[in-house]
Amino acid sequence: MATESETEQGPLSRWVDSSIQNPEKVYRAMFYVATIFFLFTTLFPFYWLLVLALTPNDAIANFGFPPVPNGFNPGAFIEVFQQVPFHLYVFNSFVLGIVTTAVVLVLASLAGYVFGRLDFPGKAPLMLLILAVSYFPPAAFVIPLFRLFTGNVTLFGVAPPELFNTPFAMILPFSALFMPLSIFILSTFYGQIPDGLEDAARIEGTTRLGALFRVIVPLSAPGVATAGVLTFISVYNEFFFSFIMTTGEADQWAPLVWGILSYQGQYSELYNLMAAASIVGVLPVAIIVVVAQEKIVSGLTAGALKE
Amino acid sequence: MGKVILDGVTKRYADVTAVNDMNLDIRDGEFVTLVGPSGCGKSTTLETIAGLTKPTEGTITIAEKEVTNLPPKDRGIAMVFQNIALFPHMDVYDNISFGLRLRDYPKEEIDRRVERASDIVQLEGMLERMPDEMSGGQRQRVAIARAIVREPEVFLMDEPLANLDAKLRVHMRTELQRLHKELDTTIIYVTHDQAEAMTMSDRIAIIDGGELQQIDPPLVCYNEPQNLFVAGFIGSPSMNFVEGEVTASGLSTPDFDVEFDPGQLSGVTPGDALTLGVRPEDVYLREKSENVSNPTQPIAARTDVLEPMGDEIFVYLLTGDADPTMEADDAMPQNQLLMSVDPSSDISEDTDVEVVLDRERAHLFDTETGDAISHSLEFAAVEPGPAGTEAEGDD
Amino acid sequence: MSTSTEDDVRDTRRSGPYVAVVRWMENLSDTQFAYLLLTPVLLLLALIAFWPLLSTFRMSLYADSLVGASALGEFVGLQNYVELLTGQRDVVLVRPFLDLNAPFRSALTVTLIFTAVSVFFETIVGFGQALVLDQEFRGRRWVRVAIILPWAVPIVIQGMIFFLLFQPNIGFLVEPLQNWGVFTATPLTNSVDSVIILVVADVWKTSAFMALIILAGLQSVDRSLYDVGRVAGASKFQQFKMITLPLVLPSVLVAMLFRTIGAMRVYGIIETVSGCNTVPSLSCLVVSTFRGSRMYGTSAAIAFITAALIGVVVSVYIVKYADTEEASG
Repeated sequence: MATESETEQGPLSRWVDSSIQNPEKVYRAMFYVATIFFLFTTLFPFYWLLVLALTPNDAIANFGFPPVPNGFNPGAFIEVFQQVPFHLYVFNSFVLGIVTTAVVLVLASLAGYVFGRLDFPGKAPLMLLILAVSYFPPAAFVIPLFRLFTGNVTLFGVAPPELFNTPFAMILPFSALFMPLSIFILSTFYGQIPDGLEDAARIEGTTRLGALFRVIVPLSAPGVATAGVLTFISVYNEFFFSFIMTTGEADQWAPLVWGILSYQGQYSELYNLMAAASIVGVLPVAIIVVVAQEKIVSGLTAGALKE
Repeated sequence: MGKVILDGVTKRYADVTAVNDMNLDIRDGEFVTLVGPSGCGKSTTLETIAGLTKPTEGTITIAEKEVTNLPPKDRGIAMVFQNIALFPHMDVYDNISFGLRLRDYPKEEIDRRVERASDIVQLEGMLERMPDEMSGGQRQRVAIARAIVREPEVFLMDEPLANLDAKLRVHMRTELQRLHKELDTTIIYVTHDQAEAMTMSDRIAIIDGGELQQIDPPLVCYNEPQNLFVAGFIGSPSMNFVEGEVTASGLSTPDFDVEFDPGQLSGVTPGDALTLGVRPEDVYLREKSENVSNPTQPIAARTDVLEPMGDEIFVYLLTGDADPTMEADDAMPQNQLLMSVDPSSDISEDTDVEVVLDRERAHLFDTETGDAISHSLEFAAVEPGPAGTEAEGDD
Repeated sequence: MSTSTEDDVRDTRRSGPYVAVVRWMENLSDTQFAYLLLTPVLLLLALIAFWPLLSTFRMSLYADSLVGASALGEFVGLQNYVELLTGQRDVVLVRPFLDLNAPFRSALTVTLIFTAVSVFFETIVGFGQALVLDQEFRGRRWVRVAIILPWAVPIVIQGMIFFLLFQPNIGFLVEPLQNWGVFTATPLTNSVDSVIILVVADVWKTSAFMALIILAGLQSVDRSLYDVGRVAGASKFQQFKMITLPLVLPSVLVAMLFRTIGAMRVYGIIETVSGCNTVPSLSCLVVSTFRGSRMYGTSAAIAFITAALIGVVVSVYIVKYADTEEASG
C-alpha cells in the first residue's frame, strides 16, 4: 500500500487521497468539527459573562474578537452581593425550589402509584387531563390566579388569604405546572416494582400507603431523584410566575429573577455586576447538571417519549 | 388456633370467575396444598386468604376470627412468595425483622426472634448480607425466616419453590416438611406440581376451573380420585383412560372388553357411557401377572415406544390394530395404553404382547359428568358424595 | 402464643380514630383507593389550573371595565374575540394583536414567526448535537454536560447573557453586524433585530432538549439494521437517510411538539432581553393588558386565544405523529 508517491504529495492531497479510499476518515473529521462547533457555541456565552465580570466596569467597551478581559477585577463577585442582597434572592429561589420539589414528590408519588400500579375506570382520561395542564400556557391561568392571590376573588363566599408577595403565590402554581412530568416519571418507575414486593410488605404489616412509602418509593430512588432534580431546576429557572407574583423585594420572597432584573433596572450601567450576578446564579444549576446529568437525560427523555 | 375456614368464597372479575364457591375447612396445624393447573384459581384463593384480594362473595375465618374485611396485616398470617420478594434495599436482618419493626416490638425481642428464625432456616452469619449477594436457595430461606419470625397462626406459601433449580427444590421440600414438624403451624401451600403436593401435604385440595374438585389426604386422592380431572392430574405419568359403553356383562371399549356386573353399580344401566381408568403400574404383562389376584381378560396389544427410567420402564402400548388412532384435538392416541414394568423385564419395541389390568385397582367414571363411579371392578359402588368416602369392597 | 392478640394489643395502643381510618382505607376497592390518592393532586390542579382556565374563558366573554370598582363590564359574548381578530381593539392595546403590515410588532404574527423560526433551527441544531452524542468517544460525558448546560440556565440569566452580547455600548458583535448590514445600531430596540436575537437565544438554550429526545430515538434504533444496510451496500449517508431518519422521525416530532408549545408561550426572555414593547408576544400582551391597563376581558380573550392556538398545534402534531407511527408500524 505505502508507495513512494506519498513522499511526493503534500499533506492535504495525501489526506484527500486516503479519505477517498476510506470515507470513515471524513466522517471522523466531520464529527470533530461538529463537536468543536457545538462546544464553542454552547460555552462561549459563559465565557463572555466571565470576561465582563472580570473587567472593571469603567473599562467595559471596545472588545475585539475574541474578547478578553480589560483588566482583572474579581471584586465584582463580592460587590454583587453588596449592591443588592443577591444572596437573599438566590436563597429565596432555593427555598421555593426545595418546598415545591417536596410538595411535588409527595403528591406525584401518590398519583404515580395510582397510574403505575392500579387499574380503574377513568384512568386514561384522567391521565390525559393531567397531561393537558402542562400544555396550557401560563398566561391562560395567570389572570384569575393573580386576582385570587391579590385578594380580589372570593371562593365559595370566603375571601382567601392574600398570597401575593408570599412564597405560596409561587409554590402553588409551580407545583401544579411541574407536577405532570413528575407523575409520568414516577408512574413508570413505580409500575416496574414487582407486585410480590408490595404484597410482601402488606402481609408483613404495612398498609397500602405504608407499602408505597416504605418499599416502592425507596426502591424507586433513582426515579424519585430524577423527578426531584427536574422539578428543582424547573422552579429555579421559572420566569413567568416568579416575575408576576411578587413585587420584587428580596425580603418578600422575590426569587432570582428579580435579583438579576434589579441590576438591569436600577443599576443599568453596572454591566460587570450583571455578568457576575449571572455567573453566581448559574453556578447552582451548573453543579446539579454536572452531578446529575444522567438523571436529567433519563427524566427528560422518559417524560417526553412517554406519550 | 390456626384454623382456616373458607365459606362460599367466590371471586369474580369483570369477565371471568376466578374462584367459584370455594369451601375449605383447614384444621389447626395442618399442611394443606392447593394444587391445580395454572390459571385454575389456586393463587387467587390464597390471595383471598391473605387479604391481598377481596372475595366477591363468601367469608374467610382464620383462628376463629372472621377476617374477610381485615387488611392482610391484621390477619395473623405470614406468606412466602414465588418470586421470593425480598426487599432488595434491606439486608437480611432488616428483611427478617421488617414485620416486627412495623409492630414496634422491643429491640431485644426482635433480636431474639430473628436469631431463632435464622437458626431454624440455617442462615447464621448471613444477617448483614444484601439479598443480591445470596444464592436462590439462601434467599428463599430468608423469605421463610421472614415468615416464621412473626410466629403467625397460618403460613401461606405461593409456589415458593418454583423458581429454584430441580435439585434445590427437592432439598427444600424436605426442609419445609421438617419446618412444619418443628413449628406445628397451619401451612397452606400452593403449587402446580402434583409431586410436591403428594410428598408434603396432610391433605391436597385439587382445584380446576375455579372450583374445588377434591380435598383428601394424598393417597386417598391417588387411590380414590373423585372425578376424571383428579384422576388425570394426580400421579405421574397420568392414569390411562379408555372410553366405553356399559353392556350386560361389563364395559365394552373399541379394542377390548372388561367384565363386571353392572347390576351391582347403582345408577348404571347398559348403554351408559363410562370411562375406564387404570394407572400404568396396574397394567401388567400377562406372564408377570401372577401376583394379581383379580386380573382382567388378556388384552392384545403391540409395544410402541419404551422409556427406561432406571427403576422402571414405561411401555407405550397400542391396542387394537396397532396403528395409533388420533383425532385432530387428541393429545395422544386413543388406543394408547401406558404400562410401567420392572426394569428386568425382557421387552422390546414393536412386539405383540398380552397385558392384563388389575381389576381391584381399576376405576370407572361417568364419561359425561366425569364423576367417579367405582374404584374397583371387584365390587360395589362408591357412593358419589363427600370427600374421603371409603370405597367399599376394595378388597 | 397467639400473636394476633398480641398485635391487637399493639394496635389498640394507637388511637382509635387512626385505626379506624386505616381500616377504612384498606377496605376501599382499587377504584375508590385510586381516586382517594388522586384527590390532593386533583384539588391542586382544580385550584391552579382548571378553575383559572374556566374563569379566564368566562372573563373573555365580558367587556373591560375601565372605570368603577368591578373588574368586568357587561356580558358581550364573543365580541372581544371578534374585535381582537379584526384589529378594532388594537388602538387600546400597547401593541396591536394582529397587524399584517407590521408582523414583527403585532402579537399573533411575531409569536408565530418566533415559534416557526426557532423550532426550525432548534430541530437542525438538536439533530446535529444528537448525532455527535450518539458517537462513542472519550470525554463524551463532558461534551454532554456542555451541551445540556444552556438548558439548565435560568431564563432570566439566559436573557441577561444575550442582553449583554447585543448591548451596543459593550458588545463586540453589534458593530461588525451593523457594518455588514445585518443589524441596526440599536438591535435591542428594533423589533426585527430583537426577534433574531431571541431566536438565537432560544436555539442556544433549548436545542439541548431536542438533542436529548432525538438521541433517545437514535439509541433505540436496532443496531443490527445498520448491519443489514451495510451488507446491502448502503453508504453511511444512505444508511442515515434510509434507516436512521425514518426511524427517529417520531421522536423528532415529539421533540418539536414540546418545543413548539414552549416557544408559543415565550415571555421571560423577551422581558429580559429587549422588553415587551419591542417584541410583543402573545404572553407579553396578556400581561401588559391585565397588569398595566386592567383590561381583564381583552386580556382573558388573548390568553384564551393563545391556549387555543397551542391546542390546535398539539392536535396537528398528534395527527402527524399518528401518521408516522402507522407508516413505520
